[in-house]
Amino acid sequence: MTWITSLLLATVRMAVPLLFIALAELYSERAGMVNIGLEGLAAIGSLVGFLVCYITGSTWLGILCGALVGVVVNMIYAYATISLCADHIVYGMAINIFAPALASFIYRVYFGTGSDLKQIELMAGIGIPGLKNIPFFGDLLFNQTPMVYIAFLLVIVTCIFFNKTRAGLNYKAVGEHPQAAATLGIPVVRIKYLSCVLCGALSGIGGAYLTTCYSNTYSQGNVAGRGFIALAAVIFGRWTGGGVLLACLFFGFCDALQIRLQVGSFGVPYQFFQMIPYVATIVVLSVIGAKKGGPQANGKPYRREQR
Amino acid sequence: MKKILAMILALAMALSLVACGQEAADNGGDAKDGKEYKVAMICDSSINDGGWGAACYNAMVSAADKMGWTYEVTDSIAQNEYYDSIVAYCALGYDMIYAPGNQYTDAVLQAAEEYPDIAFALLNGGADTPAKAVNKNVSSLLPDAQQIGWIAGALAGLMTKSGTIAFIGGMELDTTKGKYAGFGEAAKYVAQQEGKDVKLLDCVYAGSFDDSAKGMEFAKTMIEQGADVFFGDASAVDSGARQAIDEYNTAAGEVKVVDIAQPADILGQNECIICSQCTDNAAMISASMQAVQDGNFGGETLYGSLQNGALSAGAMSDLVPKDIQDKYQSYIQAMMDGTFMK
Repeated sequence: MTWITSLLLATVRMAVPLLFIALAELYSERAGMVNIGLEGLAAIGSLVGFLVCYITGSTWLGILCGALVGVVVNMIYAYATISLCADHIVYGMAINIFAPALASFIYRVYFGTGSDLKQIELMAGIGIPGLKNIPFFGDLLFNQTPMVYIAFLLVIVTCIFFNKTRAGLNYKAVGEHPQAAATLGIPVVRIKYLSCVLCGALSGIGGAYLTTCYSNTYSQGNVAGRGFIALAAVIFGRWTGGGVLLACLFFGFCDALQIRLQVGSFGVPYQFFQMIPYVATIVVLSVIGAKKGGPQANGKPYRREQR
Repeated sequence: MKKILAMILALAMALSLVACGQEAADNGGDAKDGKEYKVAMICDSSINDGGWGAACYNAMVSAADKMGWTYEVTDSIAQNEYYDSIVAYCALGYDMIYAPGNQYTDAVLQAAEEYPDIAFALLNGGADTPAKAVNKNVSSLLPDAQQIGWIAGALAGLMTKSGTIAFIGGMELDTTKGKYAGFGEAAKYVAQQEGKDVKLLDCVYAGSFDDSAKGMEFAKTMIEQGADVFFGDASAVDSGARQAIDEYNTAAGEVKVVDIAQPADILGQNECIICSQCTDNAAMISASMQAVQDGNFGGETLYGSLQNGALSAGAMSDLVPKDIQDKYQSYIQAMMDGTFMK
């Protein structure tokens, strides 16, 4: 296997969990909901996914339950910010503090304060017959776990939904100008809640992916900042499905590259390589600039009577 | 109505956070002189990480059981919480704070200055750290990092077929660097004795002790670079690396790449583990507890070495051929006799 192929394979592996979480944020922000609680939602999704898989042996059930718990926890944020018009950042942060602690709590209640390493059987990869034998791209695109295919399909579905369907345009209108959307009969509050359901589910899946498809153990803190990188990926990707995909692949690529460079660093300090993803972010953001911001009503409370 | 609901929500969240604090494991607390002694451990990795955190926690538990102390742990804490967590236990009247890692040095020294009556046991603390504590209430428990590296390195030098070996670090700590250096020099020396050449890949740092996914990526990359014996100092990151090694071996149909674990004997946890470098932290913690009970704790560095039994090589898997096991034992004996690499 060439150096380049293995670099690209690692890029895809590292980008997929980010992609789920970034898509979660995309659906949230498109309806005007700035949810910075992704890290927390992914953490609880990761734990529940692991736990359900550990008990039942089914990775699919684990991922489903990870999604469900993400939705349930995100309803705290949804109710506080949509119905009570509370500050999005404060409640997002609250989720970030609350959910990982809840995850540790559940882990301790179930496994006790033991120190054994619990391991599960990961989801098996499925190669697509014929296509997986294509040189170079075969392993990269057609020999992955089903969750990877689902992630990429979701990007395509998202692009079509936001750009080609009436429902998608209505959804975006809620994020741009909810009052105007309401005058056209679009159910603003219902769509905002829907966005939180989608956000919770996808973040939970992203977290559960880490424990059911990637690493076969759960350790507290295993989300390791991916929730925040996903947040950056949405801004980076200019609030579009394709952009988010590229941003996640870019972050995945930088991380995969820095790992490879550290191994053959020839005496260059390793901190230099760890910097790469962050330096790249600063450079790209300063090139793109903040000319085109996100949805106009992003993070603003919606009060029906207000003009 | 909404306000009340919001308050209930906030309360529920606050309470669930409180509930996350671990309850004290009550094992009687029947220390000899009637006083109930308590020890608290703080840890940045998780105690179920299948590596460093687990071993350090178990060491505390067995020392506490032996001495009849009660114990408590807070794990998975971030760097900015080191000091607060320590001080929280100090305020609760704990007799000893056990901080397993070089990275807690600053937090421990600061807390030790403010709580002169509490004993602080700093595992992997520097040899000069106890002298820095103004109240002389800090002890370093210092397993010899070079010898730890040697124990793993000698086996790596014997076992490598490709001639490339690898080491994965969590953070750039002095002890980690010492283990890396010892690992490399022992492997090179032993391989030379066997007529082989060994290349140790550059030390890599995951920048965390929790990100097992990153450990997998490191291991995969290093296997591509030809590494066939792994050693590490990175907690759950090492668990991830072992998973990647097992996956590689499964795909290859035979065990081509192996791992040496530390600091507890966890042979059998993963197929690729051929041996563990074991550190008996419990003995050093018990010694500190005894000093607290005797009222003469503090200001010293307790060294752990092969010679005093704190360090050892654990059980070997069948993957290590009998003749290599014998050779390895003779190298370990040489380390104990002080004749290794001389």
